[in-house]
Amino acid sequence: MRLRRRVHRPALLLVLLAASGAGRATDWELSLDTRLVSSDAYPSFMQGGFGTVRFGSGDSGLRLGRARFALSQPLGELWSAHLDASVFDDQGGSAVGLTEAYLLFRPYPFAGYRFRLKAGGFYPPVSLENRAAGWESPYTLSYSAINSWLATEVRTIGLEGTVDWLGSRSGHAFDLGVTGGVFGWNDRAGVVLANNGFVLTDRQTPLFGRVGQPGVPPLNGAEPFMEIDHRAGAYVGLEARYLDRAVLRVLRYDNRADPTDLDSVSHVLPWDTRFTSAGLRLEADHGWTAIVQWLEGVTTIAPQSLTLNWPFQSAFALLSKRFGRSALSARYDRFAVQNNVAEGYGQQDGHAWTAAYIFDADAHWRFTLEAVRVVSSSVSREEAGGPPLATETQWQLAIRYALGSTIR
Amino acid sequence: MRPPARAYCSRSAGGAAGALATLCVLLLAERSPAANLVVNVHTLEGRALPGAVVTVRSLDGPGRQATPVHAVMDQVNRSFAPDLLVIPVGSTVEFPNSDSVSHQIYSFSPAKRFQLPLYRGKPYPPVHFEQPGVVTLGCNIHDAMLAYLLVTDAPWYGRTNDEGSWSAEVPRGRYRVALWHPRLRENSEDLERELTVGDSDRADLTLRLSKPLQPAPLSDRPHSWDY
Repeated sequence: MRLRRRVHRPALLLVLLAASGAGRATDWELSLDTRLVSSDAYPSFMQGGFGTVRFGSGDSGLRLGRARFALSQPLGELWSAHLDASVFDDQGGSAVGLTEAYLLFRPYPFAGYRFRLKAGGFYPPVSLENRAAGWESPYTLSYSAINSWLATEVRTIGLEGTVDWLGSRSGHAFDLGVTGGVFGWNDRAGVVLANNGFVLTDRQTPLFGRVGQPGVPPLNGAEPFMEIDHRAGAYVGLEARYLDRAVLRVLRYDNRADPTDLDSVSHVLPWDTRFTSAGLRLEADHGWTAIVQWLEGVTTIAPQSLTLNWPFQSAFALLSKRFGRSALSARYDRFAVQNNVAEGYGQQDGHAWTAAYIFDADAHWRFTLEAVRVVSSSVSREEAGGPPLATETQWQLAIRYALGSTIR
Repeated sequence: MRPPARAYCSRSAGGAAGALATLCVLLLAERSPAANLVVNVHTLEGRALPGAVVTVRSLDGPGRQATPVHAVMDQVNRSFAPDLLVIPVGSTVEFPNSDSVSHQIYSFSPAKRFQLPLYRGKPYPPVHFEQPGVVTLGCNIHDAMLAYLLVTDAPWYGRTNDEGSWSAEVPRGRYRVALWHPRLRENSEDLERELTVGDSDRADLTLRLSKPLQPAPLSDRPHSWDY
């Protein structure tokens, strides 16, 4: 708790700086996303269930998708502060919080190179899908299995530096970039994945927030954003771009948690989680976008003399076409979790189809219709009395209203 | 674009001494009469290329110099407007910001290195461009923003129209015609041509690219998305 208070202080300072920053223009956004849900899925991980989508059958009806307030405040010419606060319909989880809060140092490029520094809490550069404001996907409501996992329990709470060679600004067709991050407070990344496997959701755990509800197993209100062993995690990534048409992104992440270091206060173990991800996004004329992303890793805990690990893999392919104010997107996800536990707890294997139609009536109103169908086998679900193999379908009609200084 | 000698003769011809004027025209026509130089630019596929920059320099020694201009490149809907300007050496360019968001424009091109924060509602002094060359502009906040200034020391310059054509009246003589386009894959030097504008009233030059153009920037992508 002391650690969390220590980290909350800079976030509060950010808010105060943003609020007091007169002179330079403050940009803000406010949005309300409501959902009409029809689902036959098992209860979600937020409710202690093993459903693979955000809303279980008990959630059918009118739901809050997300209420969001975001603020960007220049601090002088080269620094800026960014805050993203959200409320999700969590039925008891940590519903309100900051999904991202960071300072950005952005000096002007020099001699073809550009340096950027981020400090605070934010997403590591993995997703090629979550490119819209608030780390949302402009293609579907539900994120891919990979990016749903990041939304649930991966965040950089620390520093990230990026150096880009801006070839496209010096007569070439390519840009190249290298990114490095050092972070703490992500020692529990992996706890949700090992218990529940992959899911397809758009619920983003707030910084220092909880997943699930306290007292409700298996997650018991797990906190992914904890620092237990006082060892910094790190990642390094590469990015290559061809004009504004193609982006290739590779990242190696290791939270460097010590899986034996039981926290004496909370009695929880760090989850040593490492993964490699790669993705390619292609955009073409006439509104076509194709994205493929792949992620493979392992998460480990070592209570007493045991070493338990859960290797995991996921990949997806997405194809989207914009025409006028509409966009039609389809995505196919594959995902699997294995383990070395005798009973196979946490093992999962599945695939999912997602189709979404988005209609932007104007800059403020957006209507989205989405269907997700997941077929999965899950040992955890079976142990909880569910079937070993299940097909779940979730329909959502979303109506979102947004306003802000940049939304016209 | 008309050479001064011709303008002078034209005024004389309006006077009373008609015979003298006719003689004047004939004499000057012998020295440096004007002809229409027409440059047509085609892509590799043979289609007309609009928007290509044509510059024409005399090979007969220094003569006409282009007059510096004052140009404007606005920021509209998180884009430079226009996204390409051709200006003579010594020109100035004003960069207003018509957007509701701030911009930070920069160039690290050898022809002009500068950076300019553009906060909304504030006027900024124009930027002088004293060196010839291509100046590539970007925005430090909005990565997708991209524009070009071609600063030229050529006396005659312009951009091809929708039919891929550009023309100017030039005195008879020898010229080097150069071509530039932000999406060219070949070196600009490979597209330079020399030609002589002779007795005819019109000289035609057709340039055809030897490589396909790079794809154009995507135009229909929402500006709020990550680049």
